Amino acid sequence: MKHACRQATKLASDGLDRRLSAWELLRLRYHLLLCGHCRSCAESMQIIHKTTELIRNSQYENIKLSEAQRQHLREELEKAAGC
Amino acid sequence: MGEIVNPQQWLQEHGDYLYRYAMSRLHNEEIAADMLQETLLAAWKGHKNFKGDSTMRTWLVGILKHKIIDHIRKEIRGRDLNDAVEHDPTSAFFNADGSWNEAPRAWKENPEDLYQSDQFHGVLDSCITKLPEKQQMVFRMRELTGDDTETVCNACDITSTHLHVLLHRARLALRKCLEFNWFGKVKQP
Repeated sequence: MKHACRQATKLASDGLDRRLSAWELLRLRYHLLLCGHCRSCAESMQIIHKTTELIRNSQYENIKLSEAQRQHLREELEKAAGC
Repeated sequence: MGEIVNPQQWLQEHGDYLYRYAMSRLHNEEIAADMLQETLLAAWKGHKNFKGDSTMRTWLVGILKHKIIDHIRKEIRGRDLNDAVEHDPTSAFFNADGSWNEAPRAWKENPEDLYQSDQFHGVLDSCITKLPEKQQMVFRMRELTGDDTETVCNACDITSTHLHVLLHRARLALRKCLEFNWFGKVKQP
């Protein structure tokens, strides 16, 4: 089981980005069952993942063009497109 | 399809939406506004290509998305980010046989509480900023912007295998940094 923890954390991280194969999932679950350190690590990566998801969904919710930006864009469009 | 070819009206109707889209990907007001301007001008020049089989907004977002990816690609090329000099944190976290050098702690925090804490946002941001540039870029795109794997790979010109290696490194480094700067200081209930 050389590099076991390193590889287990890689699989746990990959699992946040892509679907793991059945074999990968089995290997990961087996390792996590036996290894509390990797379980802690996988849980904290999961917590970071979920927190960033919440931040992402609210981050720019209320942002709008400022009146100055809008005016500038209007003028640029007028210059370039003549309308 | 009865759509009026009028960039001023596009700005009026879709400006805020497109700006928000650009900001969520670029995190910079000036660049986001520039991209929006380029998009509206490109749409005006190419309005004959608009087939009316999608909504005007979808069509405009499509143009904006390409502009943003082009921008990111140029930026990456300009900075010449080199993987070889990027630090691989996994070597510091594990010993030669691949087990932990220092045991990670068990976090009990709830993402909802962390999300509510402005202080946590500050610590998270400073930890992300400490990551090597390429890890930082892919982590932000993937987790804070929510871009899909294909878009990130395309913009950064890397394979998905490489992306996953970078994300693994980024997550381990972030975990460590947060543990030190946040979870180590906050009293566990």
